[in-house]
Amino acid sequence: MTPRARIDIRAYACPLTWVKTRIALERLAEGDALEVLLAAGEPLDNVPRSAAEEGHRVLAAEPAPAEGPGAWRVVLVKGAPREEPA
Amino acid sequence: MALSERRIARYARQLILPGLGEAGQERLLAARVRVVGAGPVAGPALLYLAAAGVGTLWVDDPDPSGEGDAGAWIHPPDGRGRPRTAAAVEAVRAASDLVEAGVLRPGAGPTAVLVAGAAQDVARAVAEEARLLGLPHVVAEADGEGGAVTVVPVGAPCYACAFRAGHGAEPTPAATAQVGALAALELVLLLSGAAQAPEGRRVEVVRGQPMARATLRLPGCACAGAAARPAP
Repeated sequence: MTPRARIDIRAYACPLTWVKTRIALERLAEGDALEVLLAAGEPLDNVPRSAAEEGHRVLAAEPAPAEGPGAWRVVLVKGAPREEPA
Repeated sequence: MALSERRIARYARQLILPGLGEAGQERLLAARVRVVGAGPVAGPALLYLAAAGVGTLWVDDPDPSGEGDAGAWIHPPDGRGRPRTAAAVEAVRAASDLVEAGVLRPGAGPTAVLVAGAAQDVARAVAEEARLLGLPHVVAEADGEGGAVTVVPVGAPCYACAFRAGHGAEPTPAATAQVGALAALELVLLLSGAAQAPEGRRVEVVRGQPMARATLRLPGCACAGAAARPAP
């Protein structure tokens, strides 16, 4: 699956890592993939988890040494919009 | 229009709320709100709306700051006698430089109205004017230890239909702050689109406890007639 968009959030800290990812997902259509370059540690722990919690699919999470030391590549697939809590 | 990096950083925690997102934040940025009243109820509401990222706030209050404004969040202790609007605009600008703030001018063209602590006859007149213009509006009234917030999306039962007389007691500072902040929250829900298919409702605050009820149209009320034209 070729990602429709790609963002690099290695320069950001929480909560902007997830904010940036969420905005990028918001701009895609359901079923589109988003490639996220992020740093190991907190972003790698939290961004895929937050995405899964909001109904998106985590397609891949793998080290991306070609992008720089400590870089990871995460591919998310946008899920269906979920019912908002009442 | 995409949000700037500064706005994304400023509203980060709000942007990730369910139902809001970038689109909701952009709707807030595009909103131009006329705030009627610049006293103790309006103070927390203005600061809340500024912090939430409402694009433009126009303050509308003919009175100078008086004794009761000392605990009103936006009025300095030595500000008595100055126009309330001046202190309100200064407070909003100090709270956020990402918001346009000013005194309401004729022909300003707001997209929504917040009535915050205005006298009963003023609240009625302003709410009716907003309804006829097709603008969503929220009316906040503090009363004793509580008060009420009436939410009127376009097409909902009007403020007069929803009105219930309060006790008319002098509101406590805590009541004014709570009712003002609650009114701002309700307006943010309306403007951002976070409230999907919003309905008219009235939130009564009794000793700190808010209780929301859907509002009902009074039989024969003019607000049941031809739908007010939607906001441009």
